[in-house]
Amino acid sequence: MIVGEQKKIAEIKELVEPYRKILILGCGTCVKTCFAGGEDEVATLSSALRLALSMEGKEIAVEELTVERQCEDEFIQEAAEAISRNEAVLSLACGAGVQDIARTFPKVPVLPGVNTTFIGILEKHGLFTEECLGCGDCKLAIFGSVCPIARCSKKLLNGPCGGSKDGKCEVDPAIDCAWQLIIDRMKELGQLGRLKSYVEPKDWRRSNAGGPRKLVRQDHIV
Amino acid sequence: MYKNFKLRITIFHCINTFNGAMAVPRGEDDDIELNLIKLPCSSMVKDVFLLRAFEAGADAVIVLVCPEGACRYVEGNLRAKRRVQRVQNVLDEIGLGSRRLSLFNVAPGDEAAVAGIIQEMRAEITALGPNPAHYISRLA
Repeated sequence: MIVGEQKKIAEIKELVEPYRKILILGCGTCVKTCFAGGEDEVATLSSALRLALSMEGKEIAVEELTVERQCEDEFIQEAAEAISRNEAVLSLACGAGVQDIARTFPKVPVLPGVNTTFIGILEKHGLFTEECLGCGDCKLAIFGSVCPIARCSKKLLNGPCGGSKDGKCEVDPAIDCAWQLIIDRMKELGQLGRLKSYVEPKDWRRSNAGGPRKLVRQDHIV
Repeated sequence: MYKNFKLRITIFHCINTFNGAMAVPRGEDDDIELNLIKLPCSSMVKDVFLLRAFEAGADAVIVLVCPEGACRYVEGNLRAKRRVQRVQNVLDEIGLGSRRLSLFNVAPGDEAAVAGIIQEMRAEITALGPNPAHYISRLA
């Protein structure tokens, strides 16, 4: 899932202040799961904004709507009428959703209410951790399904740096040493010997470092 | 400065803390307006309900929950506590102030404790003044 965090209310207030009628548009998928932009968060933010502006003697009409996903046209179109009624949209989706709304409704300002952060998992209730950088060339099979690109602070491909202590990273002791995790996992799988094979330097052209990417699935286009 | 405003308090309470009408410690000048909202469990109090209570004009919001370890639904009161803490942070962020929202653990049926809580909040909020999001309209 994509993990994000709602912006501070002060920043959001500054974004919406020029408008008298806004739609706060939530997303029912990734950002709902990380408590940043689902239906509950839309309602809470609406109320907080009205209160905050009311204390300054200002009024704002806030319409609330949450769609299943803001990255698919099928669901975006459900918001069309609500968008047409308002001066601006505050989208609580990830960056992809914000841009898809803006692309679909180019005449309406679409403002981001969430800081999109990483691709990750819900490790336990309330804890989300980064697991994948979307590098475009997955080598998890070599590393026992622990990604050294996303989870090693130094992105090392051929073994640990030697700076870890008690399984924690020397860059930040709050981070598990990814190579400790890789070695533990490969031991568990009985495949530790595979780590002796040299891993070539990564071709970063396949990641976003090579520019924005596209995926065309001709086999699915009718 | 704010001596003569009628204090509006909204109380969200679990039906297991107290049920039915309760004696309201209104004071000599009848200067409190209470709005009681009962819930099957305090965990049903959502963040937005607390904020909307302030939008509706509450000067203070109180959430009454069962004592820790005594929730009929195991951790409902703990969830309510987390929600109250979240909304307190929001209230501080927007300048309304977290002191206007409080959570108290109350043993079932302890009306004396509830009366004491209301008196405590009355003193606190009288000092803070009316809800600034509604103050101007109430002056009129």
